[in-house]
Amino acid sequence: MRKLILFLIIPVLFSASACKKFLDVNKSPNNPEKVPPSVLLPETTIGIAFANTNDLDRATSVIIQHLAGTGTQSVDYDTYKLEGYFDNQWNLELYNGVINNLVKLIKENQETNPQYAGVAKLEMAYAFSMITDLWGDVPYSQAGFGLDYLNPRFDKQQDIYQGNSADGIKSLFDLVKEGMADLDKTSILKPKTDDIVYGGDMAKWKRMGNTLLLKFANTIAFKNPALAKSTIDAVLTANNYINSNSLDFQVPFGGTGNQNPLYSFNWVNRKTDQILSTRFLDMETKLNDSVRLSKFFTKPGGQFVSYDNGNTVSSPSENARSKYALFLTGAAGEAPAYLVTYAQVNFILAESALMLGTAGNANTYYQAGIRANMSKVGITKDSIDLYFATNPTVVTLAGTQEQQLEQIITQKYISWVGNGIEAFNDFRRTGYPKLALARNAAGHDPNTIPTRLTYPNGELQRNSNCPNPITRTTVKMWWAR
Amino acid sequence: MLLCGMLLLYGQLLAQSKTITGKVTDESGNPVPNASVTVKGTSLGTTSKEDGSYSLTVPSNSKTLTISAVGLDEQEIAIGDKTSILIAMTHKQSTLQEVVVTSLGISRDKRSLGYATQNLKADQFNDRGQVNIANALQGKVAGVNITNASGGAGASVNINIRGISSFTGNNQPLFVIDGIPISNDVDRTNGGPNGTLGDNQPPNRALDLDMNNIESINILKGPAASVLYGSRAAAGAIIITTKKGSGQKGRAEIVVSSNESFQRATGLPKLQNEYGQGTNGAYVNSTGNSWGPKFGSKATIANGLLLASGDSIPYNPYANNIKNFFETGILSDNNISINSGDTKQNFSFSAGYLYQKGIMPNTGVKRASVKFGGNTVLRDKIKLGGSVTFTNTLQDGVLGGNGQSALAVVQGVPRSVDLQAYKRDKSWKNLDGTNNYAVSGTENPYFGVYENPIKSNLYRLIGIANLGYDITSWLNVSYRLGVDAYTDRRKQIFAVNSGRVPQGLTLDNPITRSEVNGDLIITAKKNDIIKGLNVSGLLGNNINQRRFQSVQLQGNNVVIPDFTNISSALVYTVGSQETSTLQRLVGYYAQASFDYNNYLFLELTGRADQSSTLPKGKNLYFYPSVSAGLVFTDAFQLQSDVLNYGKVRVSAATVGRDAPPYLLTGVYTKGSYGNNVAQFDFPLTYTPAGTPSPVTVAGFGASTRLGPNQPLKPEFTTSYEVGLNASLFRNRVTVDVAYFDQVSKNQIIDVGLAPSTGYSSVTSNVGKMTNKGIEALLTVTAINNRDLRWEVSGNFTRIRNKVVSIAPGITSFAIPGSAFTGSIPTIQEGSPYGVIVGGLITKTPAGDRIINPGTGTYLSTVANQVLANPNPDYQLGFTNTLKVKSFSLSFTFDFIKGGQVLSFTAATYKGRGMLKETAVDRDQPHILPGVVEDPNNKGTYIANTIQIPAQTYWGVLGGLQSEFNVYDATTFRMRDISIGYDLPHSLMDKLKIQSARIGVFANNVFYIAPNAFFDPQLNTQGAGNIRGLDLQSVPNARTVGAGLKVSL
Repeated sequence: MRKLILFLIIPVLFSASACKKFLDVNKSPNNPEKVPPSVLLPETTIGIAFANTNDLDRATSVIIQHLAGTGTQSVDYDTYKLEGYFDNQWNLELYNGVINNLVKLIKENQETNPQYAGVAKLEMAYAFSMITDLWGDVPYSQAGFGLDYLNPRFDKQQDIYQGNSADGIKSLFDLVKEGMADLDKTSILKPKTDDIVYGGDMAKWKRMGNTLLLKFANTIAFKNPALAKSTIDAVLTANNYINSNSLDFQVPFGGTGNQNPLYSFNWVNRKTDQILSTRFLDMETKLNDSVRLSKFFTKPGGQFVSYDNGNTVSSPSENARSKYALFLTGAAGEAPAYLVTYAQVNFILAESALMLGTAGNANTYYQAGIRANMSKVGITKDSIDLYFATNPTVVTLAGTQEQQLEQIITQKYISWVGNGIEAFNDFRRTGYPKLALARNAAGHDPNTIPTRLTYPNGELQRNSNCPNPITRTTVKMWWAR
Repeated sequence: MLLCGMLLLYGQLLAQSKTITGKVTDESGNPVPNASVTVKGTSLGTTSKEDGSYSLTVPSNSKTLTISAVGLDEQEIAIGDKTSILIAMTHKQSTLQEVVVTSLGISRDKRSLGYATQNLKADQFNDRGQVNIANALQGKVAGVNITNASGGAGASVNINIRGISSFTGNNQPLFVIDGIPISNDVDRTNGGPNGTLGDNQPPNRALDLDMNNIESINILKGPAASVLYGSRAAAGAIIITTKKGSGQKGRAEIVVSSNESFQRATGLPKLQNEYGQGTNGAYVNSTGNSWGPKFGSKATIANGLLLASGDSIPYNPYANNIKNFFETGILSDNNISINSGDTKQNFSFSAGYLYQKGIMPNTGVKRASVKFGGNTVLRDKIKLGGSVTFTNTLQDGVLGGNGQSALAVVQGVPRSVDLQAYKRDKSWKNLDGTNNYAVSGTENPYFGVYENPIKSNLYRLIGIANLGYDITSWLNVSYRLGVDAYTDRRKQIFAVNSGRVPQGLTLDNPITRSEVNGDLIITAKKNDIIKGLNVSGLLGNNINQRRFQSVQLQGNNVVIPDFTNISSALVYTVGSQETSTLQRLVGYYAQASFDYNNYLFLELTGRADQSSTLPKGKNLYFYPSVSAGLVFTDAFQLQSDVLNYGKVRVSAATVGRDAPPYLLTGVYTKGSYGNNVAQFDFPLTYTPAGTPSPVTVAGFGASTRLGPNQPLKPEFTTSYEVGLNASLFRNRVTVDVAYFDQVSKNQIIDVGLAPSTGYSSVTSNVGKMTNKGIEALLTVTAINNRDLRWEVSGNFTRIRNKVVSIAPGITSFAIPGSAFTGSIPTIQEGSPYGVIVGGLITKTPAGDRIINPGTGTYLSTVANQVLANPNPDYQLGFTNTLKVKSFSLSFTFDFIKGGQVLSFTAATYKGRGMLKETAVDRDQPHILPGVVEDPNNKGTYIANTIQIPAQTYWGVLGGLQSEFNVYDATTFRMRDISIGYDLPHSLMDKLKIQSARIGVFANNVFYIAPNAFFDPQLNTQGAGNIRGLDLQSVPNARTVGAGLKVSL
C-alpha cells in the first residue's frame, strides 16, 4: 500500500513544483513590449505621409477634380458617395498609427528626450489639423489615451484651432509653440536618420513649426482674422519659416514595400481607377500651363488623355490614360509626400497680404509661389521665365480683391496636385477655384460638392460621443467662409 | 476494438492435439470479427478474424468451445470429433451493448454513458473516394455540421460539433488518435499583397490521416463527454481508433486495398452563348465583361468589331471555355496493411500512398504514410505498446483571392474567349514573358495556375507510447506519451509579370508545429462494494505542450524569371517575419463511476487545468461534470418484444477554455500601413535630402490591441443534456435522441474600442452565447435474414445559436480573419453567430426597395445590416445499407435546410453578363424591382418604371456585396454511394487468398439546390470561424471510382 501511495504522490508533487517555471512561457517572442523612440518616430512620420497620399487623397483629389474616378471606390468618391468609407484611414492610419504613437512618443520622451517630444508635437499638430480639416469636430483633447477615455469627446473645430481652457483643450497654435520650445531643450537621445524628413536638424523643424503657425492662421483667417494676423505678423517678424523648396516638409518614400501610395495605387495595384480630370485639363489648357501639367501627369502617345468627373462611359485603358507622373510618384514609388511647401508659404503670405494686410506685396508672394512650385516640379528657370513672359495676365494679380483671391487660390490649387487634401481645404475655405458638380452626383446631396468627409462606421459604432446620425457632407467647416 | 478481459494465455504444448477451423457469424450471417473462441475451462483460445474465421489448435480431449463477443450472447458448443465448426451467434436482445472508445482512450459500454456519443465503423466511411476523414463523416453524424471549403485538392473542411461556442477561439473539435490528441490545425500562408485571402485553400491537418488505417471513429459531442480532455476538447472531440494487430498468433493478415477514382467539377452555372466580350454592346478588349455585341452581328467601327485598319475581330462563342478549364481529377489511394499476433503480442504495419490530381489545373495532393505499431504483455502485468506513423503530404495549389487570381479571373472569362487555346504551348505567356490574354490588363487564368503556384511539403510524425502496470487485480497505473510534430515547407510564387505582383515575389514559409502530451492515469475498479454496486475510479495528470513557428522569408522584385530560389530577389524586407508560439498546460483529472446492477449509472468527473496563457497565479481553473443513465427497461422490468431496451440519460458539465498565447499585454508591432491597393512596410530605405547614399530605418508602432485591464479568466461553456436511447422490436429499431442547452460565458475576445482611443480593441472577458439543439439518430433494420439485410439509418440536427451579449455598449464586432469591407462576418448581439454584415438597399416602411429617380438604380444602402446568416435551420442525413448475399450497397443522402451564402461567384456571373439569364431580352430595357418617390406627393412611393439597360440592371444585381447575391443554401445531396461484391469463398480458396471485395463508389453524386444556380455549400475560407462566404473558390467535385480489397 505504501508503494501505491508513492505512485500517486510522486508525479503530482513533481508536476506541482515544476509547474511554475514550466508554465512561465507567456512572453511573446514575436513582438516587443517596449521600443526606443527612434523606431516610433519613423512610424508616425510615415503614417502622416501615408494617410495624406492614400484614400484620403484619392477621395479629395477626385472631389476637387484634379482627377476623375474610373474604378471601384474612386467612382464613388467622384460622385460624392462617401458614407461608409475611411475606416482604415481614421482608425489605422491616423488615430492608431499616428496619434497613438505620437502620444506615446511625447509621454515617454518629454523629460529625457525632449527633442523627440518636440518633433512629435509638431507632427501631432499637423496630423490633427489634417483630421479636423477633413471631418470638422473630431476627437482631439481626449484622443489616443486608450482606456482613460473610452468615448473620446468630439472637440469643436474652433476649439481645436483656438483652444478652450474650460474644456481643457489646447489650441493647435499652442501645441506647435510647445513643440518648438521642446526642440531647444537638452535631449539625451536625439533624432538622426530616424528623422526621415530633416535628419535630426532641429533648426529645420523650427522652421517647419513656424510654417505650421502660418498654415493654421491662414486656415482660420475668415473666422478669426485678428488671431490670424497677429500670428502671421509674429512669424514674419521672427523670419524663421520655410523659405526655400529645399526646406519643404516632405516625407520620403522608398522602393518596393515602401512606395508612395500615389505610385502603388496608380501604377501597380489599381491601374485603371484614376485618371486626369477633363476639367483640370481644361483649366490648365486655358492657362497655357501644359509644361507643368506634364510634370504632374503622363502623356500617353504624346497627348493628355482625361475623363470627365462622374462620367459613365468606358474609360481609357491603363496605358492610354494620363496618370500621376514622376514628380508625384518617382520612378519606382520613391517620390516624397509633399505636405508643407515653400510654394504654400508664398500663397499664404500672398493671401494674407491681400486679405489681412500683413506685411509684403501680395503679387510678389503670388509670383514667388508660382515660381516655387514650377521649380519644385522640375521646370527649368528659363522655362519658368518664358512662361512668365508669355502669360503676364496669369502670373500677375489684377482686378478686385475677390478676383485676386481667386487667382491666388487657383494657382495654389494647381500647385497641390497630388495633395488633394490641401486643395480641398482651400476650396472649401474660399470657394475657389469655382468647380461644377460632377456628373451623376449622388451621396448625401447630389447638388452640393461635399464640404467634409463622413465619420467612419467604426467610430460611429463604438464611440457614444460620435454625432449620430453622422454629420451630412453639406455642413460647412467652422473655418469656411 | 479493444478486447477487455480477453487476455488469453498460451496453452502449454500438448503431445496430442487437433486443429479446429471455422467461422463465427451472427444471426444474419455477417462475420463476427474479434470473437473470443476458447476451450472451456482452459486458457487456450484465439479470436476470430475480420471475416469471422478462426483456427484453433486444441488438445484432442477438449470437449467444449466457449465463444463470446461484444454485444452477442455467449455460446458453448460441443467439439466432439469435429474439426470444422461454424458458429452462429445471436445479438444480445436486451442490452444493446456497444463498446465505444471515450475520453483518454477508455473503452466503455455505451449503455453506461450519461451523454451522447456516436460511433462509426470503417465500413461506414471508407472506400468512398474521400481524402479527408472529415469529408467522410458528412451526412452521417447527428449534431455535427461539416462544410468543405471547396472541391480543391486538399482544401480544408470545417467541423462544428453542437454549434459554435467560442466567439473568437478555436471551434474545431479535438482530434484524438489512439488516446493521443493531434493537430487538426489549418495553417494559412500570409504572403503577398492579398495576405491570407490570397492563400491557396490549405488543408486542415486531418488530411494527413490515412483512412485505411482507421477502425472506428467515436464522436464525443458535449462537454460531458469530453471533459477529461479538458480545454482542448471544449468544442467536442473526434476519437479515432486505428487498426491493431490482434489476429491469430503465427499468422499474418495482409490486406491490400486500392481505390481509383475520377473527379469532375460540379455546380457550374448555365451560361449564355449569345454575347461576347465588351461593354454596352461594343467590343472592348480591356473588359472581362460579356456585354459586347451579339455573336454574328455585322462588324462595324461602332461596335468595335471592325478596326480602323479594316481588320475585323474574330468573334465566336466558346460555350465550354470555363467548364473545360477545370480538368478531370484523378484520385488513387493504395494501402497495404499487415497485422499479426494475438491480443498479447502483436504488431501492425501499414503503408499507404494517395495521389490526387485536382480539378484545378496544376493542383494536387500526394500523401505517403507508413505506420508501425506493436503491443506486448510482459509478466502478465505489464502492458507495453506504441506506434509510429510517418506521413509526407504534398499539396500543390494555386493562389486565390478576388481580383488577379486564377480563380477570380476564370469565373469572368468572356464568352468569346477561346481560353483553352492559351493552354497550348504555354501561350498564356508572350515570348517576352509577359502575360498574354484577351482581356488586357488581366492575368490569364492559365498564367495564374501555372506560374503562380503555392506548394506545401509536409513531414509529420505521430508517435505514441503506452506503458501500463496492473498493481493489483483492481488497480492499474499507466503512462501514455504522445508526440505529434510536423514541418510544412511552403513556397509561394508570384511570377514576374503576374497580375498582382508584376515584379515577382518568392515566399518561403516553413511552418512547424508540435504537440507533446503525457498522461499518467491510475484506474481502480471494485465490483460489488455493496451487492450490485460496481465502482471504478480514475485519477490522472496531463502535461501538454504546443509549439508553433512560422517563418516567412519573402523576396520581392525577382530578377531571374522562372528561377524561384529566394536568391533571385532584390528586396527581403517586405513581409519577412517570424511568428512563434509556445503554450503549456498541466491538467489534473479524476473520475468516479458507479454502476448499480447494470441499469443505473452515475459518473462524476472533475478536471483542473493550469495554463501558461492565463495570468500567473490565476491560471488554475476547475470544471466538473456529472452524468447519469438509467436503463429503465431493466430497472423496472419493462422489457417486451416491442420495447426491448430503453435508457434515459442526463448530464451537466462545464468545460473551461484557456486563452490563446500572448494576450496578456499590449505590444508593439513592426510598422505597416495600407492594404492590397497600397501598402507600406517597414523598414524604410530612403535617400535623405542632399545625401547620395540611402539609409534604412525601422518603424514600430503600438499594436491596435490593448492588453486586458482585468486579469484574464478562462472561457467556460456549461452544457445540460438529456437523452433517450431506446431499442424496439427486438432491436429492429433503435432511437437515440438528445436535447442540449449550452451557455458559453466569459468569452476571451478583443472587444472593439472607439478608434479614436488610439486602439481598435482591448482583450477582455465578456460575452455570452447559447446553443440549444436537438439531435436524433434512428436506425431501422427493415429486413434481416441470411441473404438480405436492409438497414436504414437517419440523423437529424437542429441547433439554435444566439449571441446573447457581447460587452457593455458593444452590440457587434467583426470575427477576426480575412474579409472584405462590405461583407463582414460578425458577432452581433441577438443574432446567431457569424452573420454577414453589410449594406442593405434602403427600403420604404412597406419594405420596397427605393429607386433613385435620376438613375433608375437603387438610391442608397443602409450600412451595418445583416446580409446573410450562414447557420442552417436543420440538417438531415440518411444512409441505406443493403446486403444481398455477397453484394452490399450503401448510400447516403443529406439535406441541409436553410443557411445563407454570400456568393462572389454568383455576383461575377451576373454582373459580367455571363449567366444564361443575362442574355434574355438583353437588347430590351430592364426595370429594377422597387419603387420611386412620387414627385407630386413626397413621402409616398409609386412602382418603378424607369428603364435601364441590361448591363446596368445586371450590374446592380451582380454587385459583389449586394443582398442580391445572398442565396439560400438549402441543398439536398446524394453524399455518397458504394456498391461492393465479396468474391465467393470457393474462388478465394483456389486463389489461396482469404477474401476479396470489389466495389464501385461515388461521392457528391448529385445535388439539388432549389434556390441557387450554383452549389451553395461552399465555404471559401474553410475550417475556421468565418462561414457563409463564397469568395470565388474551386467548385465542388464529384468523385466516381472503383476499388479492390484483398485479404491474403
